[in-house]
Amino acid sequence: MRVLVVLPLYGGSLPVGRYCAAALAELGHQVEVFEAPEFQASFHALRGLKVTADRLQYLENSYLQLVSQAVLAKVETFEPDLVLALAQAPLSLQALKRLRRDGVATAMWFVEDFRLFTYWQGFAPFYDFFAVIQKGEFFEQLRNIGVDNTVYLPLAAQPNIHKPLELSPVEQRRFGSDVSFMGAGYPNRRMAFRDLVRFDFKLWGTEWEGDPILAPFVQMAGARVTSEDCVRIYNASKVNINLHSSVQAQDLVTGGDFVNPRTFEVAACGGFQLVDRRGLMAELFETEGPQAELAVFDSMGELGARIDHFLAHPEERQAFAERGRARVLAEHTYAVRMRTLLEFIAARRPGWPKPRTAAPAADGLPPELAADIGALLERLGLPADAAFEDLVWAIRQQQGALGEMDAAVLFLDEWRKLYARKNGSVG
Amino acid sequence: MRQLVLQLARFGDLVQTRRLLLSLLAEPQSEVHLCLDASLAPLAALLYPTVTLHPVTAHGTALAKLAPQQQAAALLGANVPAFRQLSRLDFGRVYNLNFSPLNLRVASLFDPRTVRGHVWENGQERTGQWARLAMRWSSMRRIGLNIEDFWAWHHPFPLAPEKVNPPAQGRGGGLGVVLAGRESRRSLPPKELAALVCALLDTRLVRDDAPLTLLGSAAEAKAAHQFLRELPPRRARQAKNLCGGTDWAGLAASVGGLDLLLTPDTGTMHLAAALGVPVLATFLSSAWCSETGPYGLGHRVLQAQMECLPCLESQPCEQGVACLRPFGDARLTRYLATGDARHLPEGLLDLDSALDVVGVVFTARAGEDAAAAKRARFRQFLARHLGAGGAWNAEPVREFAERLYAERDWMAPDPESSAGRIFGGSIDF
Repeated sequence: MRVLVVLPLYGGSLPVGRYCAAALAELGHQVEVFEAPEFQASFHALRGLKVTADRLQYLENSYLQLVSQAVLAKVETFEPDLVLALAQAPLSLQALKRLRRDGVATAMWFVEDFRLFTYWQGFAPFYDFFAVIQKGEFFEQLRNIGVDNTVYLPLAAQPNIHKPLELSPVEQRRFGSDVSFMGAGYPNRRMAFRDLVRFDFKLWGTEWEGDPILAPFVQMAGARVTSEDCVRIYNASKVNINLHSSVQAQDLVTGGDFVNPRTFEVAACGGFQLVDRRGLMAELFETEGPQAELAVFDSMGELGARIDHFLAHPEERQAFAERGRARVLAEHTYAVRMRTLLEFIAARRPGWPKPRTAAPAADGLPPELAADIGALLERLGLPADAAFEDLVWAIRQQQGALGEMDAAVLFLDEWRKLYARKNGSVG
Repeated sequence: MRQLVLQLARFGDLVQTRRLLLSLLAEPQSEVHLCLDASLAPLAALLYPTVTLHPVTAHGTALAKLAPQQQAAALLGANVPAFRQLSRLDFGRVYNLNFSPLNLRVASLFDPRTVRGHVWENGQERTGQWARLAMRWSSMRRIGLNIEDFWAWHHPFPLAPEKVNPPAQGRGGGLGVVLAGRESRRSLPPKELAALVCALLDTRLVRDDAPLTLLGSAAEAKAAHQFLRELPPRRARQAKNLCGGTDWAGLAASVGGLDLLLTPDTGTMHLAAALGVPVLATFLSSAWCSETGPYGLGHRVLQAQMECLPCLESQPCEQGVACLRPFGDARLTRYLATGDARHLPEGLLDLDSALDVVGVVFTARAGEDAAAAKRARFRQFLARHLGAGGAWNAEPVREFAERLYAERDWMAPDPESSAGRIFGGSIDF
């Protein structure tokens, strides 16, 4: 199946979009990615114009419509069976209407908190399928505005990224500590982590400035941490604290519903974490009993004691980490999520995806050429029976100068467009 | 954190910045500064004694009469030192409230990442998402948000509305009457005003022998004189004309001692509300109480309601100011005396101030508020947008989501988006 993944221009759903694309490719689908972040520099360039505020707004809106048109152009060329948009994707309502009219299936994975990112009310009805990380009330709200094709799709991990690492002693020293937290300095975390300064503690991530108590523990001067370094931190820390964010500093452990990506990622890395309990956690991980996969806490009062306990019992940390990782690899990878999403769509959309009837690319060719085509298909990671159009698409994904076979196939494709199809021949 | 509010507008606007300023003052270890026009500094010192003031010369009625060189000398002489001081203070957050060229030029003193509202970034003017949203709903003025709440909600967690102004309670000083306002069509002419004052006194809504204090600037002296001529001699003898006769402290003292203030939409009205003095406001023409009604509990608004309202003060009225008629209708006296809604003149609403999770709202005591249902849905939409809580158990409000949310809102990052205003730059679960 062909899937066009539309990334957002910015934000937390951006890495999730890339993981989705990788997972879909792993599942054997042909994936194109609409690289919206590449359009962000131009969007920002508009702010250098020094024009009136209303003119700037007009230009910004127009530019986003143009980006949306670029997605449509990509759809026309790539002819995907599904356009998968991540939260904040630059798909205008007009573009979504157009895709619906043209019969192109669209889905959004809304990897946001619906109570905070309230704009879903404006665009959700224009997607054919809407995947969310929350349940209950959100489902009801979506139903109320006419969105029926809603599927619960919790976050996940990407095993080729989030994996156990052999760290060098230098890396272990740099990224390791008894206790660590990797994330943004929101009010509940700032307040909560004041109790952790008695440990060998490292704070990673942004927005920790202005807190004299925590300042000595902030790493890299509060700079943004790359995904690769996140994985090193998760691997190197004895206890990864995972406290879900909250904007208020009264109840530090909020008991909210959805489970954050960090939970899956630390587990997939084989790291040990102490995570605050969430409403939807129990159906994703075992949190009680001897086979518990996650070590959880319900209040800040118990966190310190639990850290002391687990620092003193490395074997218990190891056991939790192993069970957690096994559960993630079995049930909580992006590949699993993508399979769930595609199955959900297939169940709700009769005749989807439309079968592509084209004959295999090597059909009817002399054995020598057929072998060359077969080798090309293999090199490009396509199945041996891939259609000619799929082969052309895969060749076009390559960077730099092409080989003679690649160029010849592209040439043949164009020649057919010019002559063969015009004369009624099969392409 | 050290924070600055840029409020260069007028008397009423300064008072209506109260919820935002009190929200900032309520933060732990807060240090709040206010940049305002120098003429309002004495009033601001009374209203916000713990706020550090930065007066600048912005209002220019007198300056405009000077020669260009004199204007430049006066403005630069006053403002350069003030701007120098502002730029040295390293504010953690700056709230720039007004979409005005003057405000934006002052905002140029600060790191644009710290500025909320209207931002100046490398010579480019930019409006945050909250203000953009407000520009979109400005076409629906009958349901609009009170400006005090709009300004306050630039803050992620403003002070609860009930903590802004004390509940209104009479102070024994009789009836205050505000003459005219800056926008003349919004005010009752002397004849209608005199009839309403007599009605209030005759029907004992205010003590019959209560002092009658006329309030206004020197520019209202003539209106005050006409008003007194319209009053029966007995009532005129009760009156004390303070128009043009008070400084800010005197005005605050006079207003603060009243039982009731009868006023059109004026700065004095907002001052009374801030002091906890009951207001009876007359709103007509371009004034609509959803937008600028008196803040807090215990206030009352007589709101004209016609198809053409609220209009634009800057455009001529082609209806002969028909919205004025109900205020001159004899039935209004009867209504005020009996409280019987059947006597309320057509085209008039009698509304009480109330509070909800978003802020102040006005509910009909008598008359049918045709926009009430829509306004309630709008406020539900806003409560959700602002994370004001408790509003997700009801049905979503698709009509406003589709009308007010623009694609720009969710496609591009904005520190004033529904999530950004709470979480800041990056959202990390």
